[in-house]
Amino acid sequence: MTRTQIIVARLALLALVLGAWEVLPRSGAINPLLLPPLSEVLATLANLLGRPNVHEAVAVTAAEVIVAFIIAVPLGAAAGILIAENAYVGEIFKPMLFYVFSIPKSIFLPMFILVFGIGFQQKVAYAAFTTAFVVLMSATAAVESVRSDHIMVARSYGATQTQILLRVYVPSMMPVLLETLRISMIFNFTGVMIAEMYASRTGIGHLISNWGENFQMPQLFAGVIMLATVAILFNEAVRALEARCSTWRT
Amino acid sequence: MQHLANMRDVQGRADQAAIEVERLSHVYAGADGGVPALQDISMSVRAGRFVVIVGPSGCGKTSLLMMMAGLRHQTEGTILCHGRPIPTPDPTRVGVIFQEASLFPWLTTLDNIEFPLSLRGTPREERRRRSQAMLSLVSLEGFGERYPHELSGGMKQRVSIARGLVQDPPVLLMDEPFAALDEQTRMTMGHELLRIWSTTRKTVVFITHSLTEAVYLADDVLVMSARPGRIIDHIEVNLPRPRTYEMMATDVFGKLRDRIWQQIRRTT
Repeated sequence: MTRTQIIVARLALLALVLGAWEVLPRSGAINPLLLPPLSEVLATLANLLGRPNVHEAVAVTAAEVIVAFIIAVPLGAAAGILIAENAYVGEIFKPMLFYVFSIPKSIFLPMFILVFGIGFQQKVAYAAFTTAFVVLMSATAAVESVRSDHIMVARSYGATQTQILLRVYVPSMMPVLLETLRISMIFNFTGVMIAEMYASRTGIGHLISNWGENFQMPQLFAGVIMLATVAILFNEAVRALEARCSTWRT
Repeated sequence: MQHLANMRDVQGRADQAAIEVERLSHVYAGADGGVPALQDISMSVRAGRFVVIVGPSGCGKTSLLMMMAGLRHQTEGTILCHGRPIPTPDPTRVGVIFQEASLFPWLTTLDNIEFPLSLRGTPREERRRRSQAMLSLVSLEGFGERYPHELSGGMKQRVSIARGLVQDPPVLLMDEPFAALDEQTRMTMGHELLRIWSTTRKTVVFITHSLTEAVYLADDVLVMSARPGRIIDHIEVNLPRPRTYEMMATDVFGKLRDRIWQQIRRTT
């Protein structure tokens, strides 16, 4: 298939899904109370975007996501690099971290609520907790992607430790680190949403959960579209950066 | 001591030695005591000579080369490079070429060649001028802006040689640089290396497993024994230069290659 054919096929798939979303509820094939037609959802979305309480919820959620991310990424990255670089630290901490990594983190949510309440701090703490693990695992992989022969070459040309770090480690790790950033944001966003839907008085997650409980399906789907758009935009932005920084990887 | 006396002959005239190894021994620290890796090695490489070291796998020849480069430290003995020890890597005195070209995949050919210069903060125009010169020395004009993944194995190793030569060190240490290449490329690269060597007049210490490569390239072949590595023979190759492909079919060439093989077989 040529590039154009693939793009046409992709657009056709999108049109099919969106078209079905419009037609099936309208024709009665799907109960419109459960799945309102796309046009109705979009109209609700436009309406919601004009409301102050939605603005406030978006601002709260955005702040939680950003703060959790800023805490989790350096923390996880530092821990991951330490574990990968220091054989002893790695030997001691690796098994326990791998075990904890396999546990679904949401089961710890009640503890976070007991400690932090149901406000801003709890969302940030819980999201940062889940995200830091993902960053840690990927940072370990990033360090392990640095080739020892590259370090040897740099040493043979008299590179200092700092030069080896900046000129060999950083560029070697960059593609994996950007990928980490992207994937950890997915986990981070999920963490904030789960925390907001579980117990909260503010935030988009809280609104979506409320709309669901009150059977306000157009609002619920409008919220889903809103969140999906933000998540996809961030993901694609980092992916574009990733592609630019790793042309040499192929 | 017999081989030590033998080594004295390598120096021949009173020219200054580019590399001088005196009574070098190395023991690897192991769980159950030390493992002797190199034993009482003495050798002297006259400036401008092409010396090839051959020996069975694991005989410690790579370790010996790493020590000459200041990348590893021996347990005993001294190494002098143009009269001075080399405790840490010094790319202005010794360039090292590894088996893998080990180019940085995120840098272009020119940037890779300039890497050693950029570590020392050489100004950009100066760097470009010298890397361009190296690029034409290794016959890769027009490939300066390519990335390593766009180059063939032989081309990568040419870039690696250019990178080793960019600071104009008098000594070039090469650790099986063509071992990962196919036979045809290997022949071409050997020929290219001799051309580069004859224009730059570097001292080369070259490690290989290939007997043919050893005889084809060398002024002197040093044969090492199995672990613990010792130098058990020194063979002077008196074939005229420039060396040609046809020489490989001659009796002299065959006899030299045979002698190396007999020595290696005797030790393993």
